[in-house]
Amino acid sequence: MTRLFALILAGLLTATALPTRAAESPSSGMSTIVEGQVLRGRFVQERFLKGFQAPLKSEGRFLLAPGRGLVWRAETPFAVTTVMSPAGLLQEVRGAETMRLPAGRLPFMSKLYTMLGGALTGDWKALESAFAVTREGDAKAWRLILTPLKAEDPTTPIREIRVKGGRFVEEVEVVKPDGDRDRLIFLDQSLSTEPPAGEDAQSLSAAGRL
Amino acid sequence: MKRNAPRIAALVWLLVVAVAGVYLAGRVHAGLSFRTDLLALLPREEVDPVLQQANETVTRSLARRVVALVGHAGRDEARAAARRLTDDLSATGLIETAGGGFDGDRMKRIGTLYFPHRQGLLSPGDRAALKAGQGEEVAIRALSQAFGFVGLADAGLLRTDPFLLLPSFFTSLPFPLSRLTLDEGMLTVVEGGTTWILVNAVLRRDPFELAAQDAVVGAFDRSVAALRAQTPGVEVKRLGAVFFAHAGASTGMREATILTTLTIVGAVLMIVAVFRRVAPLLHNVLALGVGLGFGMAGSLALFGELHVATLLFGSSLIGVAVDYGLYYSGSLFDPALRTPRERLRSIMPGITLGLVTALSGYASLMLAPMPGLRQIAAFSILGLLATYATVVLWLPLLDRAQPARHGRGMLWAAGRLGAFWDVVLGAQHRRTRVALAALVVAAGGTGLFLLRSDDDVRRMQSLSPGLVRQQEEVQRLIGAGTASQFLLVQAPDTETALRREEAVVATLERLKGEGALAGYQMPAAFVPSAERQRENRALVRDVLEQPLLERQRAQLGLPAPTEPAVASDAPLTLDAALAGETVPFLGELVLAPGLHVVALQGLTRPDAVRAALAGAEGVRLVDPTADFSALLAKYRQRALLLTGLAALLMVPALAWRYGWRGAAGIMGPPVAAVLLTPGLLGLAGQDFSFFHAMALVLVLSIGMDYAVFCAEGGTARRPITILSVFLASLMTQLSFGLLSVSSAFAVHGFGLTMLVGILLAFLMAPLAGRCGPRRALRSDANASVLM
Repeated sequence: MTRLFALILAGLLTATALPTRAAESPSSGMSTIVEGQVLRGRFVQERFLKGFQAPLKSEGRFLLAPGRGLVWRAETPFAVTTVMSPAGLLQEVRGAETMRLPAGRLPFMSKLYTMLGGALTGDWKALESAFAVTREGDAKAWRLILTPLKAEDPTTPIREIRVKGGRFVEEVEVVKPDGDRDRLIFLDQSLSTEPPAGEDAQSLSAAGRL
Repeated sequence: MKRNAPRIAALVWLLVVAVAGVYLAGRVHAGLSFRTDLLALLPREEVDPVLQQANETVTRSLARRVVALVGHAGRDEARAAARRLTDDLSATGLIETAGGGFDGDRMKRIGTLYFPHRQGLLSPGDRAALKAGQGEEVAIRALSQAFGFVGLADAGLLRTDPFLLLPSFFTSLPFPLSRLTLDEGMLTVVEGGTTWILVNAVLRRDPFELAAQDAVVGAFDRSVAALRAQTPGVEVKRLGAVFFAHAGASTGMREATILTTLTIVGAVLMIVAVFRRVAPLLHNVLALGVGLGFGMAGSLALFGELHVATLLFGSSLIGVAVDYGLYYSGSLFDPALRTPRERLRSIMPGITLGLVTALSGYASLMLAPMPGLRQIAAFSILGLLATYATVVLWLPLLDRAQPARHGRGMLWAAGRLGAFWDVVLGAQHRRTRVALAALVVAAGGTGLFLLRSDDDVRRMQSLSPGLVRQQEEVQRLIGAGTASQFLLVQAPDTETALRREEAVVATLERLKGEGALAGYQMPAAFVPSAERQRENRALVRDVLEQPLLERQRAQLGLPAPTEPAVASDAPLTLDAALAGETVPFLGELVLAPGLHVVALQGLTRPDAVRAALAGAEGVRLVDPTADFSALLAKYRQRALLLTGLAALLMVPALAWRYGWRGAAGIMGPPVAAVLLTPGLLGLAGQDFSFFHAMALVLVLSIGMDYAVFCAEGGTARRPITILSVFLASLMTQLSFGLLSVSSAFAVHGFGLTMLVGILLAFLMAPLAGRCGPRRALRSDANASVLM
């Protein structure tokens, strides 16, 4: 669940930018994303695991449509699609479902959605209820460091989350207590009103029916 | 010397009663407790002690479970309220484990237990894939979890389990609370904006113990009230046998209080109104009190501990015992009997024969292999003997009364009943007689034909509808409820038992697909048989590791293994899994080595499951409720047989006194009452149960008293005898006929049977008056000695 948590958080932060509330936002240089807008981009995910010769590296593209969900489509080393919607989570490998988690089965997910919703509306309280947030830098190049308020919470085994960004979130690093860490780099991000189409639309509606 | 004999006998009896009284007082002072569970009352089923043991263990474990759902719109409020309720319940000291039962520590222990044996543990899905040769799919799934957006894999796990078989096995474990999920250590379900938190507890004491009920339900109610006051919007739903038992006991107590008050007030009014003096009331209270106290003291001494039903049915001896005292008091209306001794002499043969027949009847109950019936019989026999002794030895000494002169009207009325039968039996009314008999036989026969039996134990008590609704809601919220039915797996050893469980998995899956059940948990799902673990290891080796391990490692970038791939060749054993209660629920499924339980959820078609498992060796469906109902049915039949036997046992004494024809004539009215009563109940649409049958035993004994009194009373004293019998029957109706208004089906059935049966027995009793004694009774002589 750690990865789920961290990566969704990354997704949120990517989308988190509210100039209207610049004074409160820790990342006042970020672009706004509102309902009806869609954020698209590419990602590089690296998992640094102790005892592994090299990080587990995957690359692909993602799409975030507020209110509908997040499509995370890894292309290399092989195709894995993960879709998250308010109704739950669905994972597919080569068209075959490998995981299905309805939100009702996982109260933790609804907690995440509270944070997601809060972040999207510029309400940082939800995040601050679980993390201490430290801010650095300016609007063009900012950094956030999130540390869990409850140090030994077994359901969020995270030592620290580091987020870097400018107009968009550019890099997220999640450090676990045992030293393993995940790094996500976001590239080629663009914001538009063009609705999700094709397989993205299909994936979102499949996850919406969970 | 002869003159003093009655006084000496009375003194000796006083001594005996005093000893019994001191004993009883001592027991009451030491804190008398009664068993209240039906299981203790009914016979140990002699057929299968193993089944019985399994039945009791599972039923007890289910009955001791207390489940509550604490709900609130806010997650934090719900969690705080659940913690508070848990604390309050724990504070009673009667709760064994409270709380959801999952914490980080337990998860860690589960991991430590399973990890070394991971290669023998496969989820059903993975096993099926590997058996179909689809190792590739298992490998890809692991990769997707390692590389994908979400996964359970961490470094340590991937290194040792590159195919992620163990997480897959864990998620396939059949935990029964299917809609609940673990949210920061608390089992939770979110529905319609409300967060529900599970509070799970197990009673340390029997849920049918009244003191435990009061303590636990009281603490629960207080806690809920405090929570509601503190946090508006908190909802609490409860489920558990203890709540039903407590509600049932409260209803029972309330009913009992009302009925007892009615009985006492009615009895006092009746005696005072009829005799216009208080002495007969005191005499009868004394006779009954001594009878009840002696019966209780004696049976406590015999059995050590009594069941509350013994007390209930045992007290029904009042119905019989009251006959003796009232028959004595009734003789006050005979102006010819001027002294107490004359009165006693006039009734002595009647009550002695009544006692002998009643004792023979109760002796038949002693023959039944039912602990409860034996207690009832002993209680009644001792109580009746004591009442008899009190009437014979004490009442004449206490009686100072002159014959009563105000009874003319009542005696006339009583005489009319006798006269009615004279007319019916008269030579000129042969047709009427035949028509009446035909009518009675037709009505009774039709009723018997219509009479259905109902032994469903669930309908014997009245369940609180509010609690039933909450139970349904809780079960819906947490997922399919665990059925009271279960599969019992019997095998010579643990390994065989596990294999037998694995052998029925396919059948159970098919039944699940057909909707006959929603889920099941077997020990083999948590710990596969050693044979199955060996098979799994071979599958993993042949289908997964040999062809795919190298590639998997390469794709994950795993270094070459430094330790051997196979962690442990030794299979995981059930004993290891049971040690320290590491695995939740598993302990409840293992009763003894080789004796396992498969719990079932959402069982909708027990018959289909039973039929599908007919061929499975050592596995069968056990349905405690149905078994218990079947047992009640068996004992309903047995109680009826015993009633017949009791009637036969009464014959010798009657035949000795009245000759065979006379005996038949005297047996006629009570036997007719016993036969007609079920018929009339059938006509009224009543279903017949064990409790109806128990009432018939009493109808026979009491009816026999009435018949014997009428026979002994003779024609001259007939109005007085009939009046006495009427008073006795009225008293019995006040005690037992009143029970027919009870809301509990069992008590209602008993009461209604008494109401109808005693009325019939009274109305027909004068028929026996035509049979005079053929032979002198030895107690006639005794009576004259006592005079």
